[in-house]
Amino acid sequence: MSRVLLQDASFSAETSDGSVRTILHPTTLDLSEQRIAVIGANGSGKSTLLRMLNGLLLPTTGSVSVDGLDTRADGSAVRRQVGFVFTDPLSQLVMPTPLEDLELSLRRRIKSATARRQEALRILQEYGLEPLNDSSIYELSGGERQLVALATVLAVEPKLLVLDEPSTLLDLRNTRLLRSRLAGLSQQLILSTHDLELAVDCSRALVIEAGHVVFDGPAADAVAYYRRMYS
Amino acid sequence: MRGHAYLVGAFCPGRSAVHRAPLWLKGLLLLAVAAASFAFPNAYLASAVLAAVVIVHFAARLPAARLWHPVRMMLIFLVLIAGFQYWQSGPATAWQVVAGIMATVLASNILTATTPVSTLLDSLEWAVEPLRRFGADPERFSLTVSLMLRSIPYVIGAFDDVRDAARARGLERNVRARTLPVLIGTVAYARATGEALAARGLGDPQD
Repeated sequence: MSRVLLQDASFSAETSDGSVRTILHPTTLDLSEQRIAVIGANGSGKSTLLRMLNGLLLPTTGSVSVDGLDTRADGSAVRRQVGFVFTDPLSQLVMPTPLEDLELSLRRRIKSATARRQEALRILQEYGLEPLNDSSIYELSGGERQLVALATVLAVEPKLLVLDEPSTLLDLRNTRLLRSRLAGLSQQLILSTHDLELAVDCSRALVIEAGHVVFDGPAADAVAYYRRMYS
Repeated sequence: MRGHAYLVGAFCPGRSAVHRAPLWLKGLLLLAVAAASFAFPNAYLASAVLAAVVIVHFAARLPAARLWHPVRMMLIFLVLIAGFQYWQSGPATAWQVVAGIMATVLASNILTATTPVSTLLDSLEWAVEPLRRFGADPERFSLTVSLMLRSIPYVIGAFDDVRDAARARGLERNVRARTLPVLIGTVAYARATGEALAARGLGDPQD
């Protein structure tokens, strides 16, 4: 299990009028549970927090580390350890077809082209995506794309998987499919979501409001707290 | 982005002889097409080479649309070149130059359509490997080239989308309205691609 530490980590950005807006206020967290959910309203700072965990964003103040590796000083080592799944799978996929995108993920791990292709085909088969091996990523449904995106990130074998609202663009059927896939993963997961059913399945949840962590505890209590905030 | 632009540069799976041919042979033939088209200025030769490329395209069982799209993308460019050459040297030279450009572009299109990206990446890595002793990183080099190829259809698609959006608001003659969103979109696309690679720990220097 990875241990993610945020020490007074904050994130600020300059706005178009030149003023500085703090998106995440100084936050100290120790994240080591198997399943952690981050819930909160749109624009509350969930995605910013998640993006800081694999160094997609660097903290303006404070530090973020994963198993002792600092995201600023050891960025590439952290990124190899922490996979990130975006809300929009099209942002995730960089190659024209699912097969080619998976092969890209496997390049560092498997040097032989033949073995790489076989492994990519095996993964696609495991996800039930084999008929779509050579389809354009633009021809896939939202659910298929999200599964391909998940498979491409898992193919690099990260120890920790961070998912930013993975079910937001999915219908009920695909949300359930994704949820069952996530439930079967051995990796540690940290995910942000508006799907409270998904959040309540986690062992711990954080509630974020206006850039502050306003609740941190068991997922059921966090969901109840979040519901009360808007009741 | 529009799906039609995506057709350009993408791999079309198949089992034709062209698909099965080794990459070095396809690369050599591409060079031969370019050399025949430009090193020996002759309108008949250029026509024959263009016809041969079109035959190979259909022999590879590639869709007809894929033949037209690259030409359509270059149409304005081809018309301008043809006009200039016609004015300077006459119709035979104008046709020879235009046919040569089309043959070379279509031949390179056949190469990318019949070769999986991973094979292109492996070959590029192999080609750059000797430069490793000078500090080059073959994996990053091949990844950069493949992402560059991948981004060409995106940029073309963005031009089409922005043109239609400008037209819908009666701004088709406004150069700013037709170019600025493409620039912004392209920078955003480059950023998103970088993030997509970082999300999988790809593209960083190898330890």
